[in-house]
Amino acid sequence: MKVLYKIAAAVLAFASAVSCDEFGPVFTGEYPQPGEYEKVQMTATHTIAELVAMYKVENPMKIKDDIVIAGKVSTSDRTGNFYRSFYIQDETGGIEIKIGKTGLYNDYKPGQTVYVKCQDLTLGMYGYKSGNYGGNGMVQLGYEDPDGNYETAYLDVSSIIDRHIFRGEFGAPVEPEVITESQLPGKSDTQATNKYVGSLVTLKGLRYADQVFALLYVDSNKDTKLSSNRVFLSDKTHGITTWAMSKAKYKEYLSSGVWDDVKLGNANDQNYGTVAENKEQLLKNTSAYSVSQYFTMGNTEIQIRTSGYSRFADTEIDPAVLDGSKTIDVTGVITMYQGSIQFTLIDISGVKISE
Amino acid sequence: MYKKYFLAFAALVFSVSLMAQSGGVKGTVVNRSGRIPVGGADITLSSDGENVASGKSAADGKFLFEGIADGIYQMSVKAAGFIPANVNVTIEDGFIKDLIFVSLVASRNVAEADDSSFAEFDMEDSGYSDAPSILFSNDVYTDIVGFGFSAIRFKNRGYNNETQDVYLSGIKMNDAITGYSPYSLWSGLNEATRSKESTVGNEVSEYGAGGYNGVTNILATPSSVRPGWRFSMLTNSAMYRLRLMATYASGELDNGWSYAFNVSARVGGNDWVKGVYYRSFAYYAGVEKKFGDEHKLSFMAFAAPGQRGAQNASTQEVYDLMGDNMYNSNWGYQNGKVRNARVRKTHEPVFVLKYTANPLENLEASATVLYRTGKNGYTALDWYDAPDPRPDYYRNLPSYFYNPNSDYDRNNELKAAWAKEAWISNMNSTCHLNWDRLYNVNYNNGVEQADGSILRRSKYAVEERRVDQNDVNVAANVKWTANNLFTLTGGANFKWNRTEYYKKLDDLLGGDYYLNIDQFAERDFASSPTMIQNDLDYFLANGEAQQIARGGKYGFDYYAHIRNAGIWANGTFNYGGLTANIALEAGYTGFWREGLLRKGLFAGLDDNGNEIFYNGQLLTSYDADGKVISSKGKSESADFFTYSAKIGASYVFQGGHRVYANAGYYTDAPTFSQSFISPRTRNTLIPNLETSRTVSADVNYSYSNGGYDLRVTGFWTKIMNQTDLMSFYDDSQNSFTNFAMTGIDQRHMGIELGFRIPFFLNGLSLQGALSLGEYIYTSTPRMTQTIDNSAAVVFDNQPVTYWKEHPVYKKAIIDGVEMYEVDLDGNYIVEKTRKHYVPSTPQIASSLAFNYRTNSYWFFTLEGQCFANSYLDMNPLYRTEMSAAGPDGIVTPMEVEYMASQEKFDPVFLLNLSVGKSWYIQRKYNFGFSLNVNNILNSRNVRTGGYEQTRLIDSKSGERYYRFDPRYFYMSGINYMLNLYFRF
Repeated sequence: MKVLYKIAAAVLAFASAVSCDEFGPVFTGEYPQPGEYEKVQMTATHTIAELVAMYKVENPMKIKDDIVIAGKVSTSDRTGNFYRSFYIQDETGGIEIKIGKTGLYNDYKPGQTVYVKCQDLTLGMYGYKSGNYGGNGMVQLGYEDPDGNYETAYLDVSSIIDRHIFRGEFGAPVEPEVITESQLPGKSDTQATNKYVGSLVTLKGLRYADQVFALLYVDSNKDTKLSSNRVFLSDKTHGITTWAMSKAKYKEYLSSGVWDDVKLGNANDQNYGTVAENKEQLLKNTSAYSVSQYFTMGNTEIQIRTSGYSRFADTEIDPAVLDGSKTIDVTGVITMYQGSIQFTLIDISGVKISE
Repeated sequence: MYKKYFLAFAALVFSVSLMAQSGGVKGTVVNRSGRIPVGGADITLSSDGENVASGKSAADGKFLFEGIADGIYQMSVKAAGFIPANVNVTIEDGFIKDLIFVSLVASRNVAEADDSSFAEFDMEDSGYSDAPSILFSNDVYTDIVGFGFSAIRFKNRGYNNETQDVYLSGIKMNDAITGYSPYSLWSGLNEATRSKESTVGNEVSEYGAGGYNGVTNILATPSSVRPGWRFSMLTNSAMYRLRLMATYASGELDNGWSYAFNVSARVGGNDWVKGVYYRSFAYYAGVEKKFGDEHKLSFMAFAAPGQRGAQNASTQEVYDLMGDNMYNSNWGYQNGKVRNARVRKTHEPVFVLKYTANPLENLEASATVLYRTGKNGYTALDWYDAPDPRPDYYRNLPSYFYNPNSDYDRNNELKAAWAKEAWISNMNSTCHLNWDRLYNVNYNNGVEQADGSILRRSKYAVEERRVDQNDVNVAANVKWTANNLFTLTGGANFKWNRTEYYKKLDDLLGGDYYLNIDQFAERDFASSPTMIQNDLDYFLANGEAQQIARGGKYGFDYYAHIRNAGIWANGTFNYGGLTANIALEAGYTGFWREGLLRKGLFAGLDDNGNEIFYNGQLLTSYDADGKVISSKGKSESADFFTYSAKIGASYVFQGGHRVYANAGYYTDAPTFSQSFISPRTRNTLIPNLETSRTVSADVNYSYSNGGYDLRVTGFWTKIMNQTDLMSFYDDSQNSFTNFAMTGIDQRHMGIELGFRIPFFLNGLSLQGALSLGEYIYTSTPRMTQTIDNSAAVVFDNQPVTYWKEHPVYKKAIIDGVEMYEVDLDGNYIVEKTRKHYVPSTPQIASSLAFNYRTNSYWFFTLEGQCFANSYLDMNPLYRTEMSAAGPDGIVTPMEVEYMASQEKFDPVFLLNLSVGKSWYIQRKYNFGFSLNVNNILNSRNVRTGGYEQTRLIDSKSGERYYRFDPRYFYMSGINYMLNLYFRF
């Protein structure tokens, strides 16, 4: 029997040898919940207006100094009207941080303080057009774009984002300021000269201007700069009664025939037939499209531009608003595009029929 | 670590001493192909031609000779229907030598029982794989290939797993839904399922006519389990750390009862793939009663419950970033502990009742009822409108930001460098799942309720995809031996299966609920409150989507209903050395889907058959033929009649030569899993479903004599008209799509060779196996692509142009630049075509091994293996005209050669070593070990499989598409398996 004892002892020794440090990494029970992230505390060296003031038109600037700005997140990409970026806002204005990831509202909550270490990021403008009919676009904070297609690129890379964008305390959402027509920015304004640029504001008493703008493509997989591939819907409403158009809504408009007479091509190059003549192609390549709905605030034109991918794209504008019998109050971010005001809604709750 | 094992092992080995007593020999005479006891065998023990002892084996096959002096004896065993066996027996130190089993080979298989038949080393029980290349070995080729090639995922003759017919107690166990052989149902029950009978290729079995890839029947009855106690402990470094197993079988007791049990546990991780682990258990219990000589009733219950962490394939870029081809992207640290997001969780008990009768001397009959139930789940991350959490998501990789080819329009080298840096520094858990972040996103997604509490909607959750089967089977078989010339076997079977597919919320990751909406539908129908509903009825009743708590069902929920019935018969004629047989089988397969939820996308008609409206809008949708597209309720039934026919002939010559050939024609119904366009969402069947047809033949020569074994086989199989189905995001459509492919033909042909040659030194032998095949696609299938969200047809019955082959065009070098040549009409010149191969198995596989066995029960094997001609699984999208053409619609030679080509893996050479020994202690105890060390050369660049991602990258030029990188699986580097066993 002694032999059996020896075997048993050896077996036990063997079992303990294999079990000790080998089973640790394998855990199959209920995992304890991780703790909450610690909130970062930093001190801003510059206000947003001070930072933007460093930018010169058509000169994207890679920031060399150790600049820190701070602001509260004022937008959300939850509804998709803001996409891959968010605005932060301090008392001097708001600026878009071009993060480049989707679903940002999960990680950066509206009202949360965000610190940006700006060194090695690039300050650039989107939507600038020179000349009498042009004007400023929006100064944004992003990454350098080696192509030079745009003045800034998205940060995109997690390790770049995590080195520059820091999450601070949660806080109450930014309160929109109600502003008057005279406070609206002009075509040469930036955050450095008008604190409402890039800020969350409420505009009251906007009247429908019976005009939309949308640029459609016959085939968005092909060169979208080709005149033959473009359809402009502008100057009138073209029967568009929604804030924008999802793919399904686009198809519905297209099929209904309301655009049948619109010619393909840029304004000075329209020898490619009409929508009706190209309908088969157009229907084959349906997509969602952004729409600018034109309004006036007093004598100032306000384009409310909405992405076709936003969740409220297909929301109908109240017929009483469209026929001019009622006006609306809107809450959103004032952005500039080629000197014009492009008002961007965060959510459809930002549209209210005026009292 | 290795050192520690070795010391423990050494302590064990040297503590054993042997003792001497007066001698004898005992054992059990069994059928070699399955260890079924052979009673009444004549056994003679002789020494130098002088008869020392003789007798017959008992009904249970047992025999015992006692009082035999030490020495070397010749034992001959003869039984009707079996080839006589001659064995050398050494009795020493006065032991009763326990031969355990003396295997006899049925007279249609010629082989001489040799030493290897007796020493029961656990070679079949490698513990490595649940899915051996060939389930059971009964000849020299399958001996070597069965488990020896499983690490490289060798598929014998290139056939898919589902072509192996696996029976248990006479019931065909192949999965009703997919056709797969369900090894996992009894994995870990190696002892209870050890006794098997099997056939190879087109051969007919006694349990069913079978297909073209053999039939294996696992007996699983208590009387078939090796009697006595047996304990084993196994550790290995490639799968799990430890396996413990205990078995007891009574054998047949005097009162006619037999009983047996087998339990095991497999636990722990391994040295190679992090996150992969086992926490699996297994139990088997069986009881059997023999009534007189005529009736036998058995009842068995078993299951293999447990969890298993899964591995994921990644692209080579990721492996290179990690510096590790065994990287697994499925896990991350949670509070310092490795947590795998993909875990298989199963508990599927099987209950078997079997009745066997021998009413007449020449008539055997059996009937079996088998019920399978339980749960089978597979967890995965689920997320809603939040960034993809997988670490190896393509947008997290350097290649997403930079490609030297400017046509990719990825030219930010700086970003690529930062992305790479993150992988190297593992910044914020770049390389692994970041569970902390997932929890924090959920923590911070709270909404204050009226009562002041915070209700948090989870944006990330762990789902469990469940496939819960209820499977009832009935089968009856008879064997009637009319006379010496003719034997008839036959049977009938029926299967009823209802499988529920659904998702269950496994973990809310710190949140309070998950919302039951379809985020893929939301991409296209974001503004529609109804289209995004996974459960439209709930939404219509409650005005909002359901909030799912932990454990709740969500996403989809449907039944697959399957019915199978079949009859078969086989007649065998024996005349002298000639055997011939003919078998026929006929069957019916029917299945339908029954949706349990009404999905917003495909509302269909309400429960009263009326159209459904919401706020005045019609939700019911119709297909091109005007038929309602529905998600809830029963689909049409798909019904198929199948049949097969087989013939075989065999001739045994004097001196151990045998020549035999088999041929068959088979029709097979498509499986449920191949037949619905989008079973998660709707009841639509793939149009024009048909049965597949297979013609198969093999010719064989075998020789077995004086320790020499040889088998050579030539086989030829053509499989026609198969169906395949996949779902993927199609970048050219910007949509999630379903891709149904029909009319897939393959041809498999090749030769198999297995041999064993005894060497000059007693106990030394050389054995080898070679499988030399060509498995190719031979047709241009048709494909139908539909948009998952709308059922809109993108391509209707279009050819998959470059599926079976692609052209290689003639090139010329003009002024140092390589150009494609054109003929006088301006057409490109096709120089040759390149075939496309059946993937994921080496088409050339070989093994050469030295075996050395000593009389003191040591054995050593040193084996070299070579594998070549293994190919990557192709995705059909890349073989369409559309993908080759690119966005501009123009097909160029360069695009075809790039897009359609199939990747061939590098050849592989592996070296494996096995060593083992068994000891007998005090006559009754048997103790032994076996140690395998595989991949001694530590090759870590061996691709065993993988797949192409079905995604396209747009080009800057707009002229062409680029492919996504494929994902690969690799074989483990050097690994060991040590098994210790003890039995009495």
